[in-house]
Amino acid sequence: MPARASTRRSRHYGVHRHPVRKSLPYLLPAGLLYAVFLLYPMVASVGLSFQKWTGFRTAEPEFVGLDNYVRLFTSDPVFFRAALNSVVWVVLSLAVPMVLSFLLALALNRQMVGRNLFRSVIYIPAVFASITVAAMWKWIYNPQFGLVNQTLRSIGLGSWAQQWLGDPKIAFFSIFVASIWQGVGFNMVLFLAGLQQVPQELVEAATIDGAGTWQRLIAVTLPALRPTVVVVIILTIISSLKVFDLVMGMTTGGPAQSSQVLALWSYQQSFSSHAFGMGGAVATVLLIISLALVVPYLVWALRGEEEN
Amino acid sequence: MKNKLAVLASAALAITLAGCSGGNGPAGDSGSGANTSTEINIWTLASANPAKDAAWDKLVKDFETANPDITVKTDSYSTDQLKESLRLATGTPSFPDAYMYWEGPGLGGELVAAGASMDITKYYDQYKWNDRFNDTVLANVTRYGGHHGVPWTIQGEGLWYNKALFKQAGITSEPKTYDELVAAADKLKAAGVTPFATAGTVNWYIMRLLDPLIETKCGAAMMDKLATTAEAWDKQTCVTEAFTELKKWGDNYFNDGYMALDTDSATDLFFRGEAAMVMEGAWFGGDVKEKGPDMMNDVGLFSFPTGTGRLYGFGEGFYVGANSTKADATVKFLDFITSAPSQKEFSGLWGAISVNKEVPPDSSNPLNAGWESIFNQATGMYLNNDQAMSLANVTEFWRIQNSVLTGDIAPDQAGAAFQQFIEANK
Repeated sequence: MPARASTRRSRHYGVHRHPVRKSLPYLLPAGLLYAVFLLYPMVASVGLSFQKWTGFRTAEPEFVGLDNYVRLFTSDPVFFRAALNSVVWVVLSLAVPMVLSFLLALALNRQMVGRNLFRSVIYIPAVFASITVAAMWKWIYNPQFGLVNQTLRSIGLGSWAQQWLGDPKIAFFSIFVASIWQGVGFNMVLFLAGLQQVPQELVEAATIDGAGTWQRLIAVTLPALRPTVVVVIILTIISSLKVFDLVMGMTTGGPAQSSQVLALWSYQQSFSSHAFGMGGAVATVLLIISLALVVPYLVWALRGEEEN
Repeated sequence: MKNKLAVLASAALAITLAGCSGGNGPAGDSGSGANTSTEINIWTLASANPAKDAAWDKLVKDFETANPDITVKTDSYSTDQLKESLRLATGTPSFPDAYMYWEGPGLGGELVAAGASMDITKYYDQYKWNDRFNDTVLANVTRYGGHHGVPWTIQGEGLWYNKALFKQAGITSEPKTYDELVAAADKLKAAGVTPFATAGTVNWYIMRLLDPLIETKCGAAMMDKLATTAEAWDKQTCVTEAFTELKKWGDNYFNDGYMALDTDSATDLFFRGEAAMVMEGAWFGGDVKEKGPDMMNDVGLFSFPTGTGRLYGFGEGFYVGANSTKADATVKFLDFITSAPSQKEFSGLWGAISVNKEVPPDSSNPLNAGWESIFNQATGMYLNNDQAMSLANVTEFWRIQNSVLTGDIAPDQAGAAFQQFIEANK
């Protein structure tokens, strides 16, 4: 009887009959903002990629179909380098700073002297603006007066001194080191938060069952960290694909476009060369790569969540 | 789509205009009859130099005093803001009556081609401006056909050198030919001195050496044709020779680690006496003067010996908006600021040499005298290629230039690589 009364009450208020309609007023403001500031520019950018437009108000944007994409894939001498660099950046970001963050989180999750100090010191670079980090590391890499080369020379390893940002073979990786320095603290904090959620009774039970440190990590900690790992991986992929300011600040894509990445190339095509169609095409390719990497992983991860 | 873009463009322009600095207040602020005065709107490049700002304000005030029926509203923009705002405003009522911009096919010419600039040949006749400016200066405004813009600055670029280091290397006179220049570089290197300071993080700094090398190897006429892509880059052996020379300079005469440095680091090497030459503009004399009298005595200047007699450099001018309904008043203002009295009053502030040929070089800096003789001897001018080429071509030109230096593109492949890009992006 009470259940029937409850159902009747629910029908009366229409909560279950029209959940979408009921939630619309609450969704509308955010939805509108999303549509105006995110969806529309995104669609407009994709639309631009099928046009030729110099940015002049008087110039009629000319529909050119797939021409911009054909040019990108057949005659743009920089595009493939930028695309490769962007993908390599993602792979390296998933491999190096993420693993490093996890190890640091494990280390700093224990009771030890100065734990909070270490946590703060490692996290501090994450609060710096990327352009500040770029300026700082540019000095660190300065071939004559920079910290790296000066240190190498002072310890008798002068032959190891390099043009860290001037050599096209290593400039890209030199920027990536700065990115590790900046990004490792943020992921470490996420992992630390995740580690707090690992049920201690499971860890203790595993210990009583005779599991060693490595077994506890594989069988208990990592499965419990799954939601955190999903978040960190997705955030890492997204932030890696849109890397821009560090490259802009340290090399502007050089030398000879060797450290170019897709986000910066799209910007330079649009706002330096004023080839808005080409810039839109690069941005669209970046969008497709992002979706191709993030969506399948997200679907897989969420499906796993539901199954659990 | 165009309407949507127009909405976006208008919004962006509104934001840009809201954020722009400078300005002398709305029409009628001068108190000289707001109802009857004609207000002209001038867009200029923002200056980081308070002396220039004060001088500009004084020019405007003096003009308004002499012409109470005209008020001048100035909007100042950063370099990128100016470029973007002009694009967005072209063809709209927001477009200024006059705008300051670079002269050359790449930047100024693009706006002329887009119909943003008015051909003011009739005003050149009316104000007899063909007598006010010399041929080198005029060439920058007549290159598009007719007369587009009124010259405002003329900037030459040349080789500044350290006299003591030249002497130390046994160089007794300024090089008069390219071979003599290379010989001097060899002597400097043999004496343990870095011959030439440059920086690769800003592509145009290295370009300042490559451009004269192309002029040297290809000659004046071919240089102009190559810059405007009227001649193919892959058909000229002189292009290969120029890139080969660039590679030689990079391998032998540039400072260590130049590719990772910025301009300040490169000029620091020069000022510290660790490099013998830099390729800098007339404005560099002011930097030298700031270092003190010893530095003034130690530094000399000569034009890059290309053998063509032309001077390397660029100019800036004020272009009249194509649809300006106040062209008469605007041109009157431009006549005022380029007149001999106005130019004499602020001599040296915008450049070592005035665009007005009646005005002597600024005497407050003795180094400017060097520019007077260089300008007088020049048979013409060739532009920095980032002013002569389209923006897309310049980006690729720089990539190839740097790739040659890093060894990723062989000098004999450079012309072909560039031409391939030009063909694909026509």
